[in-house]
Amino acid sequence: MSGCNYIKKLIDEADKSDLLSFEVNEHIGGCGDCERFANERASLRGLLAAERRVSVPMNFDAMLKSRLVEVKARSAFSWLSAPGYMRLGAATAGLVIMFFAAQYAGLFSDHSNQPIDSRTAVAVPPIAPPTVAAPPISVPAQVTTASTASRVRQYYPQNVKSGRDVVARAQVAPAGFTAEDGGVVLVRGRNGEMDVPMPTVSVGAQPLLYVSAGQRPVRSAANSF
Amino acid sequence: MAAVTHQAQAIELGGSRSVEAASDHELLAAIRDGDEVAFQEIVRRYRNPITNFVYRMLDDYDRAVELAQETFIRVFTSASRYQANYSFSTYIYRIATNLAISELRRRKRRKMVSLFSPFTNDDGEAIELDPPDLKMLQDETLIANERRSAVARAISSLPQKYRAAIVLRDVEGLSYDQIAETLSLSEGTVKSRINRARNLLKEKLSAYM
Repeated sequence: MSGCNYIKKLIDEADKSDLLSFEVNEHIGGCGDCERFANERASLRGLLAAERRVSVPMNFDAMLKSRLVEVKARSAFSWLSAPGYMRLGAATAGLVIMFFAAQYAGLFSDHSNQPIDSRTAVAVPPIAPPTVAAPPISVPAQVTTASTASRVRQYYPQNVKSGRDVVARAQVAPAGFTAEDGGVVLVRGRNGEMDVPMPTVSVGAQPLLYVSAGQRPVRSAANSF
Repeated sequence: MAAVTHQAQAIELGGSRSVEAASDHELLAAIRDGDEVAFQEIVRRYRNPITNFVYRMLDDYDRAVELAQETFIRVFTSASRYQANYSFSTYIYRIATNLAISELRRRKRRKMVSLFSPFTNDDGEAIELDPPDLKMLQDETLIANERRSAVARAISSLPQKYRAAIVLRDVEGLSYDQIAETLSLSEGTVKSRINRARNLLKEKLSAYM
C-alpha cells in the first residue's frame, strides 16, 4: 500500500477532485485520514469553483476602444513626450560641452599654419638706400619705402604665399616706417595678434628670432632679402 | 521562418476563414498586421476570463475592469513581439497576472486603508465595517452572499505568491504546466504553492466546507 503522504499528494494534484486514480481510490477505501483529506480538498475546490464569475460591463469594448485610440495617438507622437525632450536636451548639452572642451583643448586650431603663424612675422622695413641689393627684378633705385614694400610683395611672390601673407601684410600696413624707424613684428598667439616694433633691422640675412611661449625658434629666411 | 508562417496565417485569415474559426495564434498574426477585427475577436474571447481572474486577485471590480483593458492594450501594442512558443492564453494570463501583482504591490506601498482595520471589537480584533443593507433578502441569498464574501476575503488574505497560483488553478481552471508558464515557475513550485494555499484556505473557510 502506498504511503499516505504520496496519496495526499496525488489527491491534491488531481485535475479534478472527483476523478481520482484507482490507486488513490483503493487507498482511500482503507484509510480514514486520507479519505477525510480527499473530502476536504473536494469541498474546498468546489467552494472556489462555485464562486460567481464576474462579467465585463456593457461599455467595456467602447472604453477599450477609446483607450486604444489614446494609446495609438500617444505612440505616434512619443518622441514629443517629456522624456523625449529630456533626451534631446541632454544630447544637445553633451554636444555643446564636447565642442567647448575640444575648442579649449585646441583641437580646432589650424595646426598646419602653426609653424608659420608661430613664427614671428618679420616685417622688413622698406629699404631706401640704393645700395641695397636689388631684387631679382630690377627695382628703380629712387623708389620710396612704401612703394618698395609694395614691390617686395609684387616681385617676391613667395611672401604672399599661403600662410605667409601675414608677412606681406605686416610690411604693407606700417607704411610710415622707414629703415631708421625699425620694423614691426606681428606676433600671433592664441589670444590674438600683436604688433611688436623692432628697433633695428639688418639688411640681408635676418637674425634668428626666438619667440616666447614655448615656440620653437624659427628662422625668418623667407623675409630676408 | 516564424515570420513567414505568421504572414501565411494572416493571409489565410484575411481570405476565406472567419475570425471566429481562427486560432489565437492566427488572430495574433492578423493583429500584428493591423487587423482590428482580429483584435476584437481576441477581446471577445478573453475579456470575461481575464476580468474575472483580476477581480479574484484584487477583490475590486472597477479596478479589475481597468486592468483587463490594460491587458488587452498591451496585447495589441506588443503583438509584434509575441512569440508563439506557448499558448496565447498563457501569454495573456501572464500579462494580467503581472498587472494584478503590480497593483497589489502598489496598494501595499500606499497602505490602503481597509474597511477591517480601523474598527475593532472589545477583544481588539479587527471587524468588518458592514453598513446595513435595507434591501430585503431571502435566507439563501444571504448565505450565498456571506459565503462569497468569506471566500473573497480568504483569497485576499493569502500571500500574493500563493494567491495567483490558487486563483489560476481553482478559479480559472488552468493546468499546472500553464500556471508554471504563466508565473515563470517550475511545475513543482506551482504544485507546492497551490498545496500551501489550499491548506491556508481550509483553515479560513472551514465553516463553509
